Amino acid sequence: MSEDHKTGAAAFASSGKVVALPQADATQDQDHLTWAYQTHVTAIYQYIYSRVGNRPDAEDLSAQVFMKAITGMRSDVSVPELRSWLYRVAQTTLADHWREYYAEDAGELEDDVTRPPAPRENPEAVLRVDSLLATLPESYRRVLELRFLRGYSVRETAQELNLSETNVKVLQFRALNRAGRERGRTT
Amino acid sequence: MNDDPEQLDKHVEDLLQDRRPERTPLGDDAALRARQTAAMLRAAKPGAGLPSKEFLERMQGSIQGWVGERSARPEPGARPSRRALLLTGAAGIAAGVAAAVGIDRLGKSPAPSNNQALVQNNGTWKPVRALADLPEGTPVAFRSGAIEGFLIRQGQEVKGLSAVCTHMGCILNYSKFRKQIECPCHGATFQTDGQPTDQYNSPLPRLPSLNVRIQRGQVEVYTV
Repeated sequence: MSEDHKTGAAAFASSGKVVALPQADATQDQDHLTWAYQTHVTAIYQYIYSRVGNRPDAEDLSAQVFMKAITGMRSDVSVPELRSWLYRVAQTTLADHWREYYAEDAGELEDDVTRPPAPRENPEAVLRVDSLLATLPESYRRVLELRFLRGYSVRETAQELNLSETNVKVLQFRALNRAGRERGRTT
Repeated sequence: MNDDPEQLDKHVEDLLQDRRPERTPLGDDAALRARQTAAMLRAAKPGAGLPSKEFLERMQGSIQGWVGERSARPEPGARPSRRALLLTGAAGIAAGVAAAVGIDRLGKSPAPSNNQALVQNNGTWKPVRALADLPEGTPVAFRSGAIEGFLIRQGQEVKGLSAVCTHMGCILNYSKFRKQIECPCHGATFQTDGQPTDQYNSPLPRLPSLNVRIQRGQVEVYTV
């Protein structure tokens, strides 16, 4: 194929260049659509995982997102439309999840759902966490780093910080609440 | 119900074990925000938040089924689609890069001799690991910006490889037991230099390399 295709990945990644696939018959359209959805599974899963933080919920909610998105959408969509549609469905699915299981009215709780889709967000979750941690006092940052980023148990964290286990839980509680407020401020 | 340190720690412990947390009504916004923050922190742990092979396989099948059902239903007022999909926009999200890498397969073009780095310009250098943390010869997965990749240390040098399968864009894993890079979706395998070990009818393209440099002991990747 053309020179464009040889360098397709690089050109696409850096300039947002448009690449058209060959004209297709109906079966091929269906294959393309299937393929286009399939290439987003990992990204949507990661997006949801970074909001619910556990595998069983992330799997259930991701499957719901794709089912709702596919059954509710036209078949002649472009990939950018499909992508923002998927993220929009993911946001409403998450809002329903919070509302259903944790709070009576999550609509106003989660700023995230009102934001425009941010497809690049998940790969940058680590950066967001770094900048969030940077806003916290040292002791709060330490406890969150040990617990979440290094996976220390409460006991190990207590030993590391020279605190009682009860104190570690209190510190963690204050740190998460403080970080939650900081997130509310920046989102 | 008022939130307290014990109750919140129980939730945190569930997340750290990748279990579904108990669903209890929460007293206020702060309690929900604390849990959403915990989820975000949980996902930032290196290696967390990648879908399992089983889940990806299941989703591949489900999506095919849902698209099939959707297409079987007539769309009122819509003519049958003959429109080719356009891939555009959003410079380099991971899925986009995956899609672009996959194009050659759909176009049935000959596999490119892809020795070029995936990101050529408009990127920035981002530190991803300390050189000292990389084991000799064993690929280590990382994610930075739009790039999912592996770092492979050889002495004082480090090579970078894309971790996006050139078959259909799934994220690849490295198997320490079989000493090869493996796709959880359809079983494609690659050597640690990116060469496919092919069982496919037409050979897959090799994994694109990534630009990597070492600055003051930090391994940096050129990423978008």
